[in-house]
Amino acid sequence: MARGRRERWAPLAFIAPAVITLLAVGLYPLILAVITSFRQYLVTKPRAPRDFVGFDNYATVLTDPTFWESLGRTFEFLLLVLPIELALGLGIALLLHKPGLGLLRTLTRVSLVIPLATTFAVVGLVGRLIFNREFGVINWFLSLLGLPPVEWLGQPATAFAAVAIMDIWQWTPFVALVLLAGLTMVPPEIEEAARLETKSPWKILRHIQLPYLLPGITAVLILRTADILKLFDLVFVMTRGGPGSATELISVYIQRIGFRVFDQGIASAQAILLLILTIILSRLYIRLVYREVEA
Amino acid sequence: MKRRELLAASTALALVMAAGGEASAWSLEEAAAPYKGTTIKALFLDRPGYRAAIEILPEFEEKTGIDVTWEILPYENSRERQVLDFTGGTQEFDVILIDVVWIGEFADSGWVVPMEEFYNDPKLADPDLNLEGFFPILLESFGTWDGKVYGLPFDNYSGLLFYNKCQLEEAGFDGPPETWQQLLEEYGPELTKPEENRYAFALQSRRGETQSADSFMRMLWPFGGSLLDENFRSNLLSPESQAGLEFRQELMKYMPPGIVDYDHSEAVNALAQGRVAMITEWSAFYGTLTDPAQSKIVDCLAVAPEPKGPAGLKPALGGFSLGVSAFSDPEKQAAAWLFIQWVTSEAKARDYILAGGVSGRMKPYEDPEIKSKYLYVEPMVLSWQGGVPDFRPRFPEWPAISEIIAEWGTKMMLGEVTTEEGAKEIGTRMEAILEQAGYYSGQKKLLK
Repeated sequence: MARGRRERWAPLAFIAPAVITLLAVGLYPLILAVITSFRQYLVTKPRAPRDFVGFDNYATVLTDPTFWESLGRTFEFLLLVLPIELALGLGIALLLHKPGLGLLRTLTRVSLVIPLATTFAVVGLVGRLIFNREFGVINWFLSLLGLPPVEWLGQPATAFAAVAIMDIWQWTPFVALVLLAGLTMVPPEIEEAARLETKSPWKILRHIQLPYLLPGITAVLILRTADILKLFDLVFVMTRGGPGSATELISVYIQRIGFRVFDQGIASAQAILLLILTIILSRLYIRLVYREVEA
Repeated sequence: MKRRELLAASTALALVMAAGGEASAWSLEEAAAPYKGTTIKALFLDRPGYRAAIEILPEFEEKTGIDVTWEILPYENSRERQVLDFTGGTQEFDVILIDVVWIGEFADSGWVVPMEEFYNDPKLADPDLNLEGFFPILLESFGTWDGKVYGLPFDNYSGLLFYNKCQLEEAGFDGPPETWQQLLEEYGPELTKPEENRYAFALQSRRGETQSADSFMRMLWPFGGSLLDENFRSNLLSPESQAGLEFRQELMKYMPPGIVDYDHSEAVNALAQGRVAMITEWSAFYGTLTDPAQSKIVDCLAVAPEPKGPAGLKPALGGFSLGVSAFSDPEKQAAAWLFIQWVTSEAKARDYILAGGVSGRMKPYEDPEIKSKYLYVEPMVLSWQGGVPDFRPRFPEWPAISEIIAEWGTKMMLGEVTTEEGAKEIGTRMEAILEQAGYYSGQKKLLK
């Protein structure tokens, strides 16, 4: 009897540390943010009342044109970088999946981790240097081609592109690694059989490899979408949301409200709306893209 | 603080000191004895004034046994960190860095201790404190809020015109422009040669406080404009303010492309590398421009007051005072005060200047050696005689308004909106903030 009870509690005891940690660092701040989003909460006015104001903050956010503009800009960014990262990532994964070139392949795989291990802020600083008008390496390449220097970070469209390029640089390797893992899941005998049937790599990709890649692609879509919705450091360091508001993505705007204006009520409402949006998108991705491989 | 009040305060102080009868016996060592071993923490920036303080402060530690520690933060994060420290109850910083535009917020919220608590305490107040020895505009603008002193001027800036006299001479000018109009009409066309990648002028305009303070506000005052009228309504659509903003648009043709991405370092660098002939920058960058490791124009550098506008000389004014956190323990507060009093004192002013700082005291600049060694001294002292104490409004609402100006100011420069449309947008949004704060209903005094 006693043993049975212990056995029943043992699994709970094992997962308890993880669950408690998750509650403390995940759920508690979330609940606090939800509560704050229903209050008037100006950090810099400690004496002002912190009353509950119902859905006022949400109404303010939803009728704020700047919020919608920066959200729209974030989706433009997402639609620009995600397909490129997926395409480049898939290309790299397929190249690395090819047999042969043992040492080189291992080295490449290791070097793919480097951008991932770099802090966003550092990527932003590197970006400022790469796209510097006077000393930047990009303009140097342009000059080799006889092209005039471009003021990358001083013009809205090019600044947007520069931030996107840095994001693609940093995250394409991640996509490549995830997809490479997918490719190694393909049973070799099936792949070999397919290679005997057809010489078209496209057909092999479409019918043999893609089903194994879909879970990875879904994960990439979910993670990268969530990442871009909260992309802050890179943009803040590179352009601070400027010039004008050309690179003010949604999280840069939220930071501005939360930590410059210090209106935590509004900022929390924005963050909660963003969370809801992320969840909806994730569900969509899972429904539309994700397929289990039937063995 | 009105000058008369200041006088009254310092007279009172003198009387207190005299009544105590210990004035002559005061020494830093004795005053600090009860706080020996106390550790205090300050927030510093990576700028010359702070490096100077770090260089001279071992002497203070040695004399007092008080351990001074510091953390260096980028300007754009420093208010955030301090506000979170105040509101989160973390008691991290004892010596508080107060920017001219934060004093209203910090004082109003009760986050910094009024200095009278210390300078009226004969045990803590140095008889030579002499508040009147600070340039009045500095003590008023970043030390004082609603008639009370909250901070002592520490890292002091005036906007100055730094120029490359060799380039100006080559182009046939024997001196710097006296007015903005001259800069635009005479100097601009002569000194701008895009094919050689050379430009007459650079105005740091990157989004952030740089745009709102260094670029936007700088163009309002000399043209007779201002952000707010006396009722705290937007004054940006007035002909004078519009003239200033229009002028900035016109001047852009003599600035390097991408000027909206120029922060202080880019502007200073452009002058230091000989790419631009003139910049209007804070006095504090003098050290960078005269350092041969960072500047190619050390021998060509010259300094003058900012150009005048139709409304006269209205240079940018900025700077930081040091205050004492209201959340620190009493012994840390006392130790922090002693440090602030020492580092901003008349006695240390010379050392501070020689270490690369810009003191807010009047006395050291009378020294002929200092005058001849530092070219910035004369134009800066001249700029501090006049100037606008509320060059930027110092009320708590400024950071929120600054964000709006930073966004729409850069949009104006990029030509995404006209100066009038931009001014309207800023005006509406700014008035909404001031309305909410209670300035229009009479709930709040019209202090700025």
